[in-house]
Amino acid sequence: MFRLKLKLSGFFKHLAIFFAILGPGIITGSVDNDAGGITTYSVAGAMYGYGLIWTLIPSFVVLLVIQEMNARMGIVTGKGLSDLIRENAGLKITFFIFIGLLLSNIGNTTTEFAGVAGSMEIFGVSKYISVPVVAVMVWFLVVKGTYKIAERIFLIFSVSLLTYVVSALMAKPDWTDIGTSLIHPQFEVNTQSIAMIIALVGTTIAPWMQFYMQSSVIEKGLKMKNYKYTIIDIAVGCVVTVVVAFFIMVACGSTLHPNGIQINEAKDAALALKPLAGRLASQVFAFGLFVASVFSATILPLATAFYVSEAFGFEAGIDKKWDEAKEFYTLYTGILIISAIIILVPNAPLIKISIWSQVLNGILLPVVLVCMILLINNKKIMGNYVNKPHQNIIGWGAVIVLTALSVLLLFMPLINK
Amino acid sequence: MTSLTTFYLSGIIGKEAFGADGDAIGIVKDLLVNAAPTGINDPNQQLVIGVKLKIKKESKFYSFKSFIVTKAREVLNVTCTELAEVSPDEINNGLLLVENILDKQIVDMNGRKLVRVNDVRLVTLPTGTFAIAVDIGIEGLLRRIGISIPIKKVLSLFKVNMPSKYILWDDVQAIDHSSLNIRLSKSYAKLHTLHPSDLADILEDLGKKSSMSVFSSLDEEKAADVLEELETRAQIHILENLPVNKAADVLEKMPADEVADILDELEDERAEMLLKEMDTESSQEVRELLEYDDDLVGSIMTTDYLSFSATSTVAEVLVELRSKKPESVELYNMFVIESNDELIGSFNLRDLVVAEPNTSVSQIMRSEPFFLYDDQKTGEIAELVSKYNLLAVPVVDQNHLLQGMVVVDDVVEDLIHERRTKKR
Repeated sequence: MFRLKLKLSGFFKHLAIFFAILGPGIITGSVDNDAGGITTYSVAGAMYGYGLIWTLIPSFVVLLVIQEMNARMGIVTGKGLSDLIRENAGLKITFFIFIGLLLSNIGNTTTEFAGVAGSMEIFGVSKYISVPVVAVMVWFLVVKGTYKIAERIFLIFSVSLLTYVVSALMAKPDWTDIGTSLIHPQFEVNTQSIAMIIALVGTTIAPWMQFYMQSSVIEKGLKMKNYKYTIIDIAVGCVVTVVVAFFIMVACGSTLHPNGIQINEAKDAALALKPLAGRLASQVFAFGLFVASVFSATILPLATAFYVSEAFGFEAGIDKKWDEAKEFYTLYTGILIISAIIILVPNAPLIKISIWSQVLNGILLPVVLVCMILLINNKKIMGNYVNKPHQNIIGWGAVIVLTALSVLLLFMPLINK
Repeated sequence: MTSLTTFYLSGIIGKEAFGADGDAIGIVKDLLVNAAPTGINDPNQQLVIGVKLKIKKESKFYSFKSFIVTKAREVLNVTCTELAEVSPDEINNGLLLVENILDKQIVDMNGRKLVRVNDVRLVTLPTGTFAIAVDIGIEGLLRRIGISIPIKKVLSLFKVNMPSKYILWDDVQAIDHSSLNIRLSKSYAKLHTLHPSDLADILEDLGKKSSMSVFSSLDEEKAADVLEELETRAQIHILENLPVNKAADVLEKMPADEVADILDELEDERAEMLLKEMDTESSQEVRELLEYDDDLVGSIMTTDYLSFSATSTVAEVLVELRSKKPESVELYNMFVIESNDELIGSFNLRDLVVAEPNTSVSQIMRSEPFFLYDDQKTGEIAELVSKYNLLAVPVVDQNHLLQGMVVVDDVVEDLIHERRTKKR
């Protein structure tokens, strides 16, 4: 190995380093396109056609800036975001953030199981079979310690997210129309469309991802020396997120929207694509939804249990025995069971649960972001790697816009009535 | 009023301190305790020596001697007879309960692991105020948020007790000294008593800054043992951030095969820098090992072994062992060589001990020892080791000249790893 390394040079050396570092950004980017995301993008496409595609551009910029900050904090401190928040923001804020995170992620996991149920129904499998099977499978996968392998398999599978590109192309979109709507977005400004924008931004930049990103960076043992490759990794991850989102919106925007078909779930989108873009497009869409849902259903409960434990000082980690890390395993199992059961209850208010977890996300996000920006500007923690002015401008800008959006979202129902 | 008042740190922080005349003086911001400058388990380390008081907009440290904490109907009162500033020296040698302990990670010396502190329990006696324990339980969390009592009441309806967990102050080792310019080796004195494996586990869980400062506080021998036990990622972090001369000193204390393994993971430039800084003898051995590919026996063999000539007597061997004081792994198997290093036999400690002092080595040795070639695949070691129950196997080159030995300890890790990957 030693001799081999000496021989590597130039382009291939760069490539080798990149592949060694590759991961945190791309995995986070893929997990980002979970069932909740796919649903939101589908609904937005069906409802507004290409009208809201432009939101992906600011989302991309903010996502990039935020994830870069997470990576930098992880590399410099070697500490998880929940550790840093607990140590510097005090217990009350920590408590608020993590109880919120716990609740919203139970909601999010429920949405993932809804994705599992919906996509398998397209293939004719009842949710009373698919959901328990997936839940048990996910639980064993993680508790039996093969999680790392699973993560890699999922990463390969997440290529199937690109099936949305296929679905979109099969739908024969009008590219000039898409181009025009990107440059001159046209949509009616009303409470409904603003709510949709909030949902789009909220699903693209979910609070728990910040914690996930930072701990993956630490786990990878990344270094400041190879920082440019980390940036590339993050950028690729963000591009994946946005590209997939773009094609989902295009697919639904070019088929469902012109025909005036309104949908509530991602499953509806898959079903509705069938007569318009063909059976294959519909199944391809459903397969992508299934993989994305299982992937996120694996990562979300685990990550949530981990960060909550970390913040409150419980032993955590899948390498620990049940007795050593009782709170951690209880949390993990609890989130899985509760989410799976909600799906199986007949007539469960799924859409309400999904909306409420997004509202919670919306409230949490600015709080987490403020904590992050304060932490990353703290010289005692970050040394010479504190934020540059332009990073702070984008960071605070995002906080202000997101807070404004969240406040709007909270008060919207009052204005409506 | 009793002479004994127990209270929590969370209860006193933010309280107004009153003067003898009943006027409010300032707000309690932090408490200062002695940071065990004299070492381990000194009763004085528990004593609260100072208090950080915010008077108007300025925060200063005052001696706690003139402060009294009392409790009346579950309400804490802090009174003060005199304001005397604490010397900067005492502040530098002390530990701040809020800044360095509360919400931070500490090492629980009894459980040998990192835990997060939810609260600190203190007691006021006629002789002074002492920190007695840190609270790491859920009860402490809920108390801080202010919902401990209602939840306790609800739980008591179901006859369930809220789990509470405390660690005695004697078993507390603070990690975060970032704000103080204290001498680190002394402030981590308790940690130095831990087993290297435990210490390594703790270092892996610490942040980058803290793990460096804890590691730097270790003496070279201990540092070498700990470095050996660390995960690769942590090893790299330490070796890249430690000053080159200090890192080289530590590496010299480690077996050459371990050093080769670590340097293999480092970037070439850094590895070369460290090799140059190490003394020639150690670095030469390491360089030779680095020549072997990862999957060859040569890459995991150690060059620290004992060899004797066939004509030496048992007595002579024992004398040499006594003077060399070798590590215990070197005694697993000892080798007999010709003057050109050709391997002709092996014997173990038992053979040696049960033999008469004037017997020659050639009489007690096993004349056709099991051996491995240095360019054999590492995968083949396991079979030989388990088939013949060997603890250490000599490694020879194609000319049958002794190059080193493979110790079972180094193989076990690979075996376990291999099995796990196969299962997957």
